Amino acid sequence: MSMENHQISPQGAAGVTIRKSMRSSKVEPVLFNTFNAIFMIFLVVVTLYPFLNTIAVSLNAGNDTIRGGIYLWPRQWTLQNYKAVFASGTIYDAFWISVARTVLSTVLNIFLTTMLSYTLSRKEYVFRKPITVIFVLTMYFSAGLIPGYFLIKDLHLLNSFWVYIFPSMISAFNMIVIRTYIGTIPDSLVESAKIDGAGDFKIFLRIIFPLCTPVLATIALFVAVGAWNSWFDAFLYTSSRQELSTLQYELMKLLSSSMNSNSNPNVAAGVGVNQETAVSMVTPLSIRAAITIVASVPILVVYPFLQKYFVVGLNVGSVKE
Amino acid sequence: MGGRFKPLVRLGILMAMTFSVVLSGCGGSKDNSADNGSSSTGQTATGSSSDGKVEPFNVSVFIGEAGQQPTPDNKIYKKIKDETGATFNFEFLAGDINQKLGVMIAGSDYPDLMTGNTKLTAAGAYIPLEDLIEKYAPNLKKHYEKYWNMMKDPNDGHIYILPNYGVYNGKLNSTWYSGPAFWVQKDVLAEAGYPKVKTLDEYFDLIAKYKAKHPTIDGSPTIGFEILNYDWKNWGLFNPPQHLIGHPNDGGVVVNNGVAEIFADKDYAKQYYQKLNQMNEQGLIDKETFVQNFDQYLAKLSSGTVLGMFDQHWNFQNAENSLITQKKFNRTYVGLPLVYDTSTKDYYRDRAVLNLNNGFGISVNAKDPVKIIKLLDTLITEDWQKTFSWGIEGEDYIVNDQGRFMRTQEQRDKQSDGTWKLANKADALFGNLPKIEGSFSDGNSTDAAAQPEEYKAGLNDYDKKFLEAYGFDSYVDFFSEPPENPIYYPAWSIDLVEGSPAKVANTKLNDLSTKYLPKAVLANPSDFDSVWNEYTSQIHKVDVKAYEDKINEQIKWRIDNWSK
Amino acid sequence: MAVTVTNKKAVRKPEKKRKLTWAVLKSQQQLIWMSVPLTLYIILFAYVPVWGWTMAFQNYKPARSFSQQDWVGFKQFKFLFTDDDFMRVLRNTLGMSIINLVLGFVTAIVLALLLNEIRKVIWKRTVQTISYLPHFLSWVIVTGIVATSLASDGIVNDILMKLHLIKEPILWLSEGKYFWGIVGASHVWKEVGWNTIIYLAAMASIDPALYEAAEMDGASRYRKMLHVTLPGIKSTIVILLIMSIGHILDAGFEVQYLLGNGLVVDWAETIDIFVLKYGIAQGNYSLATAGGIFKTVVSVALLLVANWTAKRLGEERLL
Repeated sequence: MSMENHQISPQGAAGVTIRKSMRSSKVEPVLFNTFNAIFMIFLVVVTLYPFLNTIAVSLNAGNDTIRGGIYLWPRQWTLQNYKAVFASGTIYDAFWISVARTVLSTVLNIFLTTMLSYTLSRKEYVFRKPITVIFVLTMYFSAGLIPGYFLIKDLHLLNSFWVYIFPSMISAFNMIVIRTYIGTIPDSLVESAKIDGAGDFKIFLRIIFPLCTPVLATIALFVAVGAWNSWFDAFLYTSSRQELSTLQYELMKLLSSSMNSNSNPNVAAGVGVNQETAVSMVTPLSIRAAITIVASVPILVVYPFLQKYFVVGLNVGSVKE
Repeated sequence: MGGRFKPLVRLGILMAMTFSVVLSGCGGSKDNSADNGSSSTGQTATGSSSDGKVEPFNVSVFIGEAGQQPTPDNKIYKKIKDETGATFNFEFLAGDINQKLGVMIAGSDYPDLMTGNTKLTAAGAYIPLEDLIEKYAPNLKKHYEKYWNMMKDPNDGHIYILPNYGVYNGKLNSTWYSGPAFWVQKDVLAEAGYPKVKTLDEYFDLIAKYKAKHPTIDGSPTIGFEILNYDWKNWGLFNPPQHLIGHPNDGGVVVNNGVAEIFADKDYAKQYYQKLNQMNEQGLIDKETFVQNFDQYLAKLSSGTVLGMFDQHWNFQNAENSLITQKKFNRTYVGLPLVYDTSTKDYYRDRAVLNLNNGFGISVNAKDPVKIIKLLDTLITEDWQKTFSWGIEGEDYIVNDQGRFMRTQEQRDKQSDGTWKLANKADALFGNLPKIEGSFSDGNSTDAAAQPEEYKAGLNDYDKKFLEAYGFDSYVDFFSEPPENPIYYPAWSIDLVEGSPAKVANTKLNDLSTKYLPKAVLANPSDFDSVWNEYTSQIHKVDVKAYEDKINEQIKWRIDNWSK
Repeated sequence: MAVTVTNKKAVRKPEKKRKLTWAVLKSQQQLIWMSVPLTLYIILFAYVPVWGWTMAFQNYKPARSFSQQDWVGFKQFKFLFTDDDFMRVLRNTLGMSIINLVLGFVTAIVLALLLNEIRKVIWKRTVQTISYLPHFLSWVIVTGIVATSLASDGIVNDILMKLHLIKEPILWLSEGKYFWGIVGASHVWKEVGWNTIIYLAAMASIDPALYEAAEMDGASRYRKMLHVTLPGIKSTIVILLIMSIGHILDAGFEVQYLLGNGLVVDWAETIDIFVLKYGIAQGNYSLATAGGIFKTVVSVALLLVANWTAKRLGEERLL
C-alpha cells in the first residue's frame, strides 16, 4: 500500500465512504443521515439545556430565582451573583494554584503513566504480571481517611503545594487504558526498533509516546478535569494555609457560607429588608449557579483544544511499512 | 517523521510553562508570606514605639463551618490589631466536618482557638478554662457568673467552651421570632376578620374555607398545607405533636417532670397524623409535598400559593424575602402557636438557652493561652461588643438625641450586602465569641434587629395595619410569653455520644418516621390505622430504651449539677 | 478484512514464559528502571496505609494511639451484615449499579458510533463538546433539574399528557418502581458525552486501510460500523467492562440522596448511604472501614471472575 493512502485525513476517509455508499444504495445513507441528524439535535438540546439553565439562573436575581420557572432566559437580569463570587478576594490566588496543580499533574501523569503502560505492554517483561496486578488492585480499595492522612503527615506533605501532585501521579485506570491502546500498535514497530539497537526507553519516547497522541489527549482531559475539580485534598491537607487553597475549595466555602447565613437562626434578621436590598440579595440557588459557571468554564475550554489530537493517530499504518 | 514530534515539542513547552508557573506561584506565595512577615514586624516596631503595651501576636482559629475570609483591610480586624495587637488566621470549613475532625484529632493538629465540638472535647483537644478565667479574665467571669455550672462538661466537670449565645443581660427586646410554628398566610387571617387562632382544628378550618373561596391565587392552584421533609430538614413532619400538647422543642422526646420519652408512637402523635390524613383526603395537602426538595418547597412558598405549613421561620426566610420583593405582603406568613385544645397553654417560644455546643475553646496546642484568654476578656467589654454588633458610630449607625442607636436606610442596606460585610464586619469572629445579648447598660439592644425603633422603621404599611388589627407591637406577640426554662432544657442539646446504641437508635427512629409518616398521611383513611400500627410496631423493634435512658441520664445530671 | 486478522495476530502473540535469570534482568533493565520505582511509589501511597484496615476490628477512636485502641473482633461486620436493612441496601446497590452499567455502556458506545458517522468535523466536534457539558455540573444542579422536570407540572408530564399517553400527571419520584430507572437515566444524561470520549479516542487508532478494504468489498455503512469500527474498539470496551464490573458495589450515594424521599426510601438507599449514616456520620470510622473491606472483597472477586471469563472467551484481559 502506498504512503498517500495511509495519510488520508479522517474527513477524507469519511468523504470517500459516503461517495461510495451513495453509489451502492441511495436511500440508506439519506435515511441514516436524517435519523442521525435528528438524534444529534435531540442530544444537543438535552445536554445543552442544563448548562444554559445554569447560566440563566446565574444571571437572574437571587430572590426571583427562588420562585422557580427560570429556564433559558433570566427574568430579572443581574450581575449580583457574579459580583458576590468575585468579591471574595481569595479566589484569584486560588485560581492560579488550581491552574498550576492542573497543568503539573497532567504533564506528570501523562509522562509517567505512559512510560509504565509501555513496560506493562511488553509481553517479554518478567515483572509484567505482578506489577499489573499491584496497580489494578489499587482501583478497588482505599485504606481510609485517617491512615491516608497519617501517610501525608509523615511524608511532611501537610500544608504543602506538593500534596496536590505527589499522591496522584499515576492512576491505574489511565494506565490500563493506555496499555490497551498500545496493544493496538503493531508489535513489529518495537521489534524492528530493537533490531536497530534502540533501548526500551528510547523506543517508548521516540515511537510509542508520539503514536499514543489520541489516547494521551483523552487521558490528559481526564487528569486535567480531575485535578481541576478536586477539592478534597485542599479540605483535608492544606485547609490551614489560605494561600494554598484551590479555586474549587474556595468556591465550596462560598457556597456553604451562603447556605449557612440563611439557615443560621441567629443571623436571620429579616428586619429592615426593603425592596432594594431584597433584590440585591444573593440566595444559595443563585450563587450555586454562578459558582458552577466560574468553576467550569476555565476547564471546559480544554476539550475543544484536545479534540484535534483524536485524529492524529491515524498515520499508524504509515510507520508499519 | 517531523510532524509526529510536534506533540512532544508542545508537551515540552507545556511542561516548561508549568514549571515556571509553579515556581513563580511558589515564589509568589513565599514572597507574600515574607511580605506579611516584614509588614507585621514593621507594625511591631511602630506599635511598640507608639504604645508600649500593644504587642502583636497571631492567633490561628478553626471555625467548624463555612465562612469567608475577611478582606485584608477589614476595618474591624484592623481596629482589633491596632488596639490589642492580635491578628487572626482563620481556617474555615466546607465539606464534611466529621471527616475533618477525624483527621485533626488523629493527628492532634489543632490551631490555637477552635469552635466547640463534642468530638474535640471528648478527644481532649481543649484546655480547661476555669483557672485561666479566674486569674486573668474578670470580665468573662462576670459575664458567665450565672451560667458557670451549666458550662461544665458533663464528663469531667471542666469548662472547655465559652458559649457564644444564650447569656442575657438587661431587658430582652424581641421583635423577631425565628423558631417553629404553624404558619399561615396573612391574607387568610385578614379575610376571616383577624381571628385569634388557637387550635389545630380552627387552623385547618380557616385554610379549608379560604381555599374553597380562592381555588387559585394569581392563576395557580391554591395549596392548603405543605409538609417539608427533605434531608435533615425533617421537623416539618416530625415535630408538631410535642408542641400541640403544650411542650417546647425537646427534639425527639417529650419531658414530663424530668422524665423523657419519645413521642413518635404516642396517641397524641397519632392524632396529628390522622388529622393530616383527613386533610389530605379533603385535598388540602399538596400532593407533591413528600417528594419535593427544599428548592421546590421554597419556590411554592414564594409563589404565594401556599396557605400554611409547619416550619421554623429562619428556614423559609428567603421565600418571604422574595414575596416582599414581589410586593405580595399579604402572602407573607404569621406564626401561630397551635395546640389541640384551648385549655393547653402554648409553649413554642422559649427563652434562649445557653449554646453549649458552640463558641470558642482554647486548644492544647495553643502556645500562650493566657494571652488568648486576656484577648477574649477584652473583647467581651461593651465597647467592643458595640463595635462588633452595631459597627463604628457615625459610619455604621447613628445615635439620636435620646441616646438610641439607629441606622439610616443606607446603613441598613449595607448590612445585607455580603461584599460590604467582608470589609466592614468581623462576623466570622464575632459569631463565635462570647457576647452580650439583650441590652447594653445604656438600654440599647445588643442586636440591631431587636432594637424596637429599628423594627418599626423597617415595617411596611400592610404589616402596620395587620398588627394594629390585632393590637400587637410585633408578630412575636402571637406567642405566649415563655416561662422560665426547665433546668434541664433543652433535651435536644444532649450529646448522645457518637456510635453509641442511643445514637444508632436515634438514627433508626428518624429513618422509620421518614418512611412511615408520609405513608400514613397519604393513606386511604380506612388504611390509616394499619399503617400506623405497622409504624409503631417497627418503632418497638428499635432499642428505644437505650435512647431514652441516655437522655434521662443526662437530664438527671443536668438537674443535679445545674440547679446549684 | 484480511488486515484485521493479521493485526489481531500481532496483538495476540502467544506469551512466552521467561525464567527469571540475571541475564534476563540485565536485558530488561531499562524496563525495570521504567516501572519498578513507580511500583514502589504506588505501594507507598496505596498499600502502606492499608494498616488502617485494622480499624475494622477495633472500636476506633481517633484520639487514641494504636496500642490504646479497643479490639472488638468482627463486631463491626456483624452490625453491617445482621442489620435488617442490609439486604435491602445490597439489593438496591446491585440493582442501580447494573442498570447504570448496562445503560452507561450501551449509550456511550452507540453515541460514539453515531458521532463517528458525522461527516463534518466541525459538527462532530460541536456535538461532542456540547454533549459532555453536563459532566461539569454538580449532582445538586442536575438532580434539581431532574426533580423539576418530573414534577406534576414538569416537562415530562406535560409531554406525556399532550401525547395522551397519560391522563393525569404521574408523581414520578413518589413510586419506588420508577426510582432505579430515574437514577439510571440521570446518569446517562449527565455522563454519556463524557463516556464517549474514550471510545472516540480508541476509534482514532483504527487503521483507515481497514475501511478502504471494506469499501472495496462493497460493505455498506452498517457493515463497516459492525465489522470495522466496533471490532476496532472492542479491546477498549472489554477492558472497561471488566474494570466496571469490579465497581458494581459503587452505586454512589449523591444522586440517591438528593432524589430520594420517604416514599421511595426502600428503593433508594445504597450501601454507601448506609455506611455513611451509621459510619462517618456517627464518628464510627471502624464501621466505615468494615464497609470498605466488604466492598473490596466483593470487587476483587468479581474482577477475577470477569477477567477469567474474558480469558476463556479469548478476549482482551485486564490482568
